[in-house]
Amino acid sequence: MDERAISALREIFGERLKDSLEDRICYSFDATGKEFLPDAVAFPLTAEEVRRTVLLANEFRFPVIPRGAGSGFSGGSLPVRGGVVLSLERMDRILSIDTENLVAVVEPGVVTETLKEEAKKRGLFYPPDPASLKFCTIGGNLAECAGGMCAVKYGVTRDYVLGLEAVLGTGELLRTGVYTVKGVVGYDLTRMLVGSEGTLGIITKATLKLIPLPESAATLLAFFRTNGEGARAVAGIVEERITPCAMEMMDRTAIDCVREIADLPVPGDAGCALLIEVDGPEASVSQEAGRVRAACSRFGATEVRLSTDAAGREKLWELRRSISPAIRRVNPVKINEDIVVPRSRLPVMYDFLSDLAARKNLKIVNFGHAGDGNIHVNIMISGKDEDERRRADDAVEEVFRKTVELGGTISGEHGIGIAKAPFLEMEVGPLGVSVMKRLKDCFDPNGILNPGKIFVSESAARP
Amino acid sequence: MRDEELRNLAAACAKCGTCRTVCTLYPERKAEISVARGKIALIDAALSGRDGNLGAIEGALSDCLLCGRCERACPNQVLVEEILMKGRADIAKEIGLPAWKRLLFGKVMPSPGIRAAATAAATAAQRLLAKSIPTGSGLHYRFPEAFGLSGRTLPGFSAKGFIASLAPGEAATGDVMLFVGCVFDHVYPQIGRASYETMKASGKEIAVFRDAACCGLPAMASGDRDSALRCAEENVRRLRAAAPSSVVFPCGSCLVMFRRNLLTLIPETHPLRGDAAWVSGRCIDYASFILDSGVAESLPDPSGSGGDGKIGYHDSCHLSGTLGKGREAREVLRAAAGPAFAEMPGADLCCGYGGAFNVRDYATSSRIGENKVSLAARGGTGVIATACSGCILQMRDMAAHVQPSMRVAHIAELVFASLSRR
Ligand SMILES: Cc1cc2nc3c(=O)[nH]c(=O)nc-3n(C[C@H](O)[C@H](O)[C@H](O)COP(=O)(O)OP(=O)(O)OC[C@H]3O[C@@H](n4cnc5c(N)ncnc54)[C@H](O)[C@@H]3O)c2cc1C
Ligand code: SF4
Ligand code: SF4
Repeated sequence: MDERAISALREIFGERLKDSLEDRICYSFDATGKEFLPDAVAFPLTAEEVRRTVLLANEFRFPVIPRGAGSGFSGGSLPVRGGVVLSLERMDRILSIDTENLVAVVEPGVVTETLKEEAKKRGLFYPPDPASLKFCTIGGNLAECAGGMCAVKYGVTRDYVLGLEAVLGTGELLRTGVYTVKGVVGYDLTRMLVGSEGTLGIITKATLKLIPLPESAATLLAFFRTNGEGARAVAGIVEERITPCAMEMMDRTAIDCVREIADLPVPGDAGCALLIEVDGPEASVSQEAGRVRAACSRFGATEVRLSTDAAGREKLWELRRSISPAIRRVNPVKINEDIVVPRSRLPVMYDFLSDLAARKNLKIVNFGHAGDGNIHVNIMISGKDEDERRRADDAVEEVFRKTVELGGTISGEHGIGIAKAPFLEMEVGPLGVSVMKRLKDCFDPNGILNPGKIFVSESAARP
Repeated sequence: MRDEELRNLAAACAKCGTCRTVCTLYPERKAEISVARGKIALIDAALSGRDGNLGAIEGALSDCLLCGRCERACPNQVLVEEILMKGRADIAKEIGLPAWKRLLFGKVMPSPGIRAAATAAATAAQRLLAKSIPTGSGLHYRFPEAFGLSGRTLPGFSAKGFIASLAPGEAATGDVMLFVGCVFDHVYPQIGRASYETMKASGKEIAVFRDAACCGLPAMASGDRDSALRCAEENVRRLRAAAPSSVVFPCGSCLVMFRRNLLTLIPETHPLRGDAAWVSGRCIDYASFILDSGVAESLPDPSGSGGDGKIGYHDSCHLSGTLGKGREAREVLRAAAGPAFAEMPGADLCCGYGGAFNVRDYATSSRIGENKVSLAARGGTGVIATACSGCILQMRDMAAHVQPSMRVAHIAELVFASLSRR
């Protein structure tokens, strides 16, 4: 990068600009485990600093990569073409929580859990709950449109954004949206920015919607002999007109790897487990819990456990929570996809996946948010065997084709980044890609913001 | 720099970011370089030759409290503490220890004779150079600029250590061995004494391990594995020869060295490996001994002694975290103090000491420690009890900064007080 650009940046950031190799290495990775070195890292504290950085970038033509906590699973925050990583982790203030209008205004670096906790103290609820909520940031959640377990009932990040403030690729500061529940003034630029993976604007402030905190909750854990039974129970619960706030499904592969590391009471013949949570006013919770239990039994559950107190519910969650840590025992390298299919197609997809694992001789562990049809397909490989790597790549492509064929989507919540760029067109088609690129040009004509992401023509790394 | 074993350990890190949530240092630095995943990336860069500036990497690795919170939170069971210590050791092997660490840990630790001389020299140096400052908790000395250790308040070393105060032949033999540790011998001999007297109340014969070498943790944590190994070898040989049924540690950090680090330091191939495993398996924490030997049961009924809820317990990272012995210490406190004991806010937050970290960056160490003590005080705690020497050094110092009325005690002192009411 141009020396003059670095010194101009230093004028903006002083000590908060880092360009030692050590500091750059520490901002070269995200949760994909891939690494690309940035030329520098800056820690802005204000929107104005972000704006001045982008203006400089237009002058000197260097990439600017917004980064939250670097917990992304698709490589969104990786500086694949070098440039400056703008780490927003220090813009981490909750500016206000308005208990009258149920609105929170936050800076992008606020950690998701911090907002949830602060809302809770006021009897309010910010529902989005990615499993990374203890460390991921609101900015990253907005940019990826993060989902979570409760999406089935409460929706995803997108559903809680009222307005945004963002620095566009031109260096202009755009304010979008409203402070109210409704608002239809012109195009929905707010949602345009949500899920844009830092390629259209750098979010510097967000106005978010809160809802009242549910009064109580009950958790059920049901075991089935087969995936088919489990998947049919999911459909059965939905047909009962019950909307659980979590409905997690674990197949035999997932249960087995937990069995290996943890001494959890799992029936020997369990080939599928469903974890279901219902919440709301106490009376309706106990009534719904009863109906969920009945539905599970009807579809062949061999055992259903139910708990309504915090400690007991936590125990039931243990099985689900143990999967992520356990899964690396299967094989060290994880290729992690997060496809979604219409709920009714879940049995077909699960059958396809177990057949695929056998055909390709691969270890594939599946679990996910069955309530919304989201399956985390984890292909576990040794990382040392070239042929195995190729078979895994083929398998990924087959999974995506099948997903699209079933009317699903290739990424439920992790985004495209670099990991899925080659498959974008498969789902949205050539016109879809073309319109997206035209929009990109409009927000960021010089291609400053997070280049090399989403679109394949650009996703090759810098030489 | 090459180290296949370390590379494999580091490769287990999935860069998920979970360690950011618990890192003691992260709120201070707000940068990846302070958290485990950043440090592991740096070690990997050093091992693969992508970053040859080992001095800079050493600096980054030393900016860490070795509190182990990252390791305990890691969903992938990455052995962060071992990785960081081994990383420091590999770098030290290449470029040597930084000067300030040589000064602290040099070659003075293994032999007790030399250590006594060093302690005496340090005391003399402090008297000569230091400006004494009065505090609520006794006479403190300021470490001189000349040592490069500015701003740090230290208790003066006692004229007479606990072990030196024993009569000849006293506590010389016994089935149970007390490993006092440097701090409770020299700096706070009254804690060494309280441990010994309360253990004696079990009716068992207690031998004090007189010619112990340093436990070796400061050296090991700093990357001086050779010194640490020599300490370990000496201790293992002597303890194996003495053949006690158990070795009791009032200090959680010394215990972690024996329970956990001893076996990473003394590999399978080492001739003392068998003895080391034998010794390690007999090492227990003070609270467990007090519970299992019946001392706790025999204490007078503590209810009605007043000061309800005044005594809190601080979870030492090593004792509660790494070794999972927080429950035992609390049971002892309950037996000794009854309703005076209550959980304090932030009990499991690191005190910010971190051994060499406290010397390297006293300002940050102080902010972390002061927060800890202030938080406890705001919650109504007047006495912080714990069972680790580093935490006591730190929290007494921090209490002097922000809350002079706060007392910081070892649980053995509270058991001792309870016994004397009997
Ligand atoms: C263990 C684990 C579990 C996870 N579970 C889930 C889950 O259940 N559901 C889910 O959806 N995801 C999950 N994720 C993925 C990840 O946590 C989310 O994608 C999260 O939203 C990323 O947030 P971050 O702050 O880490 O952003 P980063 O990874 O730093 O960045 C992600 C993207 O956002 C952009 N960005 C960051 N901040 C801004 C900003 N202020 N303005 C514009 N662009 C910005 C970056 O450029 C990048 O493209 C998980 C990850 C891990 C490691
Ligand atoms: S929590 Fe463990 S695996 Fe995750 S980044 Fe930290 S050390 Fe690595
Ligand atoms: S040992 Fe403590 S200070 Fe060091 S990286 Fe881990 S959590 Fe942070």
